[in-house]
Order: sequence, then C-alpha cells, then structure tokens
Amino acid sequence: MFGLIGHSPSLERTHEIARELGLPECADRDLEFWCSAPPQAVDTVRVRSATGQEIEGQYIDSGFLPEMLVSNRGKTAVRKVLNAMAHAQKMGLSVTALGGFSSIVFENFNLSQTRLVRNVELDFARFTTGNTHTAYIICRQVEAMAKRLNLELSRSTVAVCGATGDIGSAVCQWLNERTDVQELLLVARQEDRLQALRADLGRGKILPMEEALPQADVIVWVASMPKGVEIDPSTLKQPCLIIDGGYPKNMGMKIQSPGIHVLSGGIVEHSLDIDSRIMRAIGMVNPARHVFACFAESMLLEFEKWYTNFSWNRNQITIAKMLQIGEASVKHGFKPLLLDPVG
Amino acid sequence: MPQLEATAAIDNEIDYQSETYKDAYSRINAIVIEGEEEAANNYVRLAELMPEQAQELTGLAKMEVRHKKGFTACGKNLNVTPDMDFAQKFFSDLHGNFQVAAAAGNIVTCLLIQSLIIEAFAISAYNVYIPHADDFARKITETVVKDEYMHLNFGEQWLKANFESAKDELERANRENLAIVWRMLDEVASDALVLGMEKEALMEDFTIAYQEALQNIGFSTRETLRMLTAGLAAAAA
Repeated sequence: MFGLIGHSPSLERTHEIARELGLPECADRDLEFWCSAPPQAVDTVRVRSATGQEIEGQYIDSGFLPEMLVSNRGKTAVRKVLNAMAHAQKMGLSVTALGGFSSIVFENFNLSQTRLVRNVELDFARFTTGNTHTAYIICRQVEAMAKRLNLELSRSTVAVCGATGDIGSAVCQWLNERTDVQELLLVARQEDRLQALRADLGRGKILPMEEALPQADVIVWVASMPKGVEIDPSTLKQPCLIIDGGYPKNMGMKIQSPGIHVLSGGIVEHSLDIDSRIMRAIGMVNPARHVFACFAESMLLEFEKWYTNFSWNRNQITIAKMLQIGEASVKHGFKPLLLDPVG
Repeated sequence: MPQLEATAAIDNEIDYQSETYKDAYSRINAIVIEGEEEAANNYVRLAELMPEQAQELTGLAKMEVRHKKGFTACGKNLNVTPDMDFAQKFFSDLHGNFQVAAAAGNIVTCLLIQSLIIEAFAISAYNVYIPHADDFARKITETVVKDEYMHLNFGEQWLKANFESAKDELERANRENLAIVWRMLDEVASDALVLGMEKEALMEDFTIAYQEALQNIGFSTRETLRMLTAGLAAAAA
C-alpha cells in the first residue's frame, strides 16, 4: 500500500477540508490546535492503472500548515513532518510521497540526520520526495504547451526560478540536454549554487528575478515559498507561458492578463477516475482525475513495485531517472496537465 | 520573504546548574517521582481488582518503583529537592478519579486512567525530555521510556479483549479525565519550557501515544478524533 503525506495549503482551507472529509471536530480550529495536533490517516485512495492493475493508498495529513513557517515555527514544522513519516511507517506503507512542503521541510532542516522518532527508526527507503516525476511532468508541460502556443523553443528564452533546487536543477538539465531551447536564465537565491549549476550545464545566464522575467518567453516557477510572490504582468513578454510548479499554486489567481498563459505545473491528469475524497478537499480542479505529480510518483512506485526511495536527497535527479519514471507514468495512464484549470 | 533555514533543531545551551533550571526541575522532577509512585500504587490496586492478572500487574508495579528510584537519583544528581507537595496536588484530580473508580470496581476507568492516560503522558514527557536532559538523566529516562511502552501495551491488550463491553465506559472516562490532562499540561508548561520541552510538543506526543492506544483497542480514527476533541472541549469549558 502506498502513502501520501500532505497538508492543507492554508489555515483557512483547513475548515473546508475538515468538513469535506467528514471531520467536523477539526474544523474551525486555530493555528495553536494544528501546532499540537498529531498526524492522521484521513483518506483511502484507490487508483486503477491503464493496464487494469488496482492499488490502494493512505493519505496522511501531517497537520503542517505553511503559516508555521511564516511565523517562525520551524521546530513545529519539523515535528509535523517527522511524526507523519513515523506514522506512515507504523502503518506499514510500502512507499510514501512527501507532498507539498513536507519534502522541502525535510530537506531544508536536514532531517536525514534524525532517524529516530520516539520508538520508530525511520527507514528512508520507504519515502520519496516525488521530485523526479514532478520535474519530468514540468518538462513535458513546457514542451507541449510551447507547441500549443506556437512558441518555438529554439527561439525562446526560458527562465527557471528556483533553478538550483531539486526540481529546478533537474528541469534545467532536461531543457539543456533534451530540447533546443535558445537561452536559459537561471534564477535562485544562492550565488554559489547558481555558479555550480551553470558550470554543470555549461551554459545559462544568472540573473536576478526582476531582470530575468521580462526577457522570458517561458517562465518555469519551481520555487516554493510559504507566501506567494507578486509579479507585475505588465513587465512580462506577450505571449508568455508560465508553468507554476511552485507550492502553493496561486499565480493563476494573481496574473490574469491576455497573452499570459499560466499553467499549474507538476500536476498530472489520470486517464481513469481516482477514488478519493482528499483531492477534492485540497482543491484540485478536477479531483477525480488530477493529482500532484509527486503523489503520483508513489503510486507509480507501487504499481511497478519499485520499493525504493526513488527521489531522495538534493540534486540527485538524472535524466535517465526522469525517463524511467516518465515511461511508467505513460504506461499507467498519467499525462501532464495541459489546459490551465485556473486561467 | 520568510526563508526556511536550518536552525530549528539547534537548541540554546541549557545550564543544568542555573537556579532557574533547578527551580523548574524541582517541580518537574517531583511530578515524575510522584507519577511513578501513583503508577506503582495504581497497579497494586488493579492487581486486587484483577486477580487473574495479579502477577503481571505486581510486576508492573515493581518496575514503576524502580523508575521512581531512578528519577529520585536524577534530582539528587543536580542537587535539587523535589517539591512533592506541588506534585501531589498536581496529580490529585486523576488520583481522586482513580480511587473513586477503583472503589466502585470500574476496572475499565481505572485502566484508562493508569494504563492509557498516565502511561501516554509519561511516554510523551520522557520522549520530549530526552534530547534536552543532562547526561545522567538521559540514560535513566531512555531505559524507563522503553518500559512504559510495555505498560501502555498491557492496558491496550486487556481493553482490546473486552472492547465491546468496555466501549461506553471508555468514552465516558475519556471525557472525564482527558480534560484533566490538558489542565495538567497547562500547569507545567512554563517549567517544562525551562527544561527545553515545549507544550505543543508535549501535547502532540501525548495525543499520538494516546490515540494510537485507543485505535489499538478498537476505536476508529473518527471515534478517537471525537474523543480527543471532547476532552479539549471539556478543558475549555
């Protein structure tokens, strides 16, 4: 049985999610409640592959909220992720994806140093960040949407915001090696990592965000921040394709301008209905069919019985692994989301 | 823009010899000693009520006495005199409820108070304490917490075997006693913080252990959520 560790995108949304899941006890609670709430397995998810194979998984809400990071409650965030992982392991789940901020918290707080959670010794082989599949899907979204919008990548400038992150660096690699993209703009906070990335790629222009965005025909946004970033659409090229692969997704709501196409990145559409309540609860536009690519990775690992932490540690994603998970993705009936459900 | 930085796990250095630390420790240490004493007495009483399990329960009681000795040594090691008056008052509500239930022969309520609530409380407190403890206390606490999981298991097994007949009484006893636990946590929050233990971490760990025990006994996730929040509502009332 596979597992998904997720959380509400905001405190406000916890109220709706709790009601949607039939847990009125957890609705209308404040941040303090969630700071001391334990992880809960709140939904069973059933998925059928295009091959006919059926699998079942558990969705565990870690109780984490992005507001915890905004209010400097890093310790609380860490506890949420570790406790949810211990819970997944105790439930005997074979492979569990760390969704939303979970993998970001795990990575940024260096949680691989913490193996012991109370009486549970975490077996990291049972967890995956899902980033390989997410990166693969984002790349496919760039390729397919560019085509749909008549943007020739060979004449396009692509800005990758969050380029040095796990997903960002994989996307840069793919665009560099598997497409004929004209120019790559690398945007991230840490200069040393940017330099290393450019050295690896052997190309790319390092620019601050405000300089990069107006030059870009395609913007791949893979930086995750507890609060959204304001982008002034009047400074962007027209047409401009924005793949919003960050978390939480809110660009489509903010940028509404003709000629600017915002697509929710890192989301797959399944060819068959997925039986769950959680996808509706967390606000998927088409909850029976749409799922985060990182969650889908744990489903793919379960379908293929690849019981391993397929995506783990920072910057370990290779094109070969992206192709491998991509092949499984196609085989089992997932495809990149293309029509923007927001805009 | 807030950034995620790897600072969460780093604690401020604790000065175990500072007056502030020792003052807070005098109450927390007393609570732990008193808790183990209460537990030992409760298991002795349960052995009278449950003759078939008497041998096992007497064994558990002996373990709690050993724990009490260990924690007494932790206080001595830091030259702290435990404030036992405070600790007895701290446990008085749970103590009273256990005595009333025992006098009425309500084994289910007695097990919920001792084997589930007190054990889960101890497990959470010890788990949260261990990373912040002085070297002497850490070794002792690590050994103790392993035992406490076994004690939680005893209550779970018996209540699981008798789940259908025990269910209503468990729900009632939960309502009456869980609120006391939240109040107890409030009472020690500031002292616990001096020892490096945050109230929300204590509550979370307690809830994890307690909810897991309730689920092992036979309650569904939804039922346990209702029970946990019933306790919260009673505490707020």
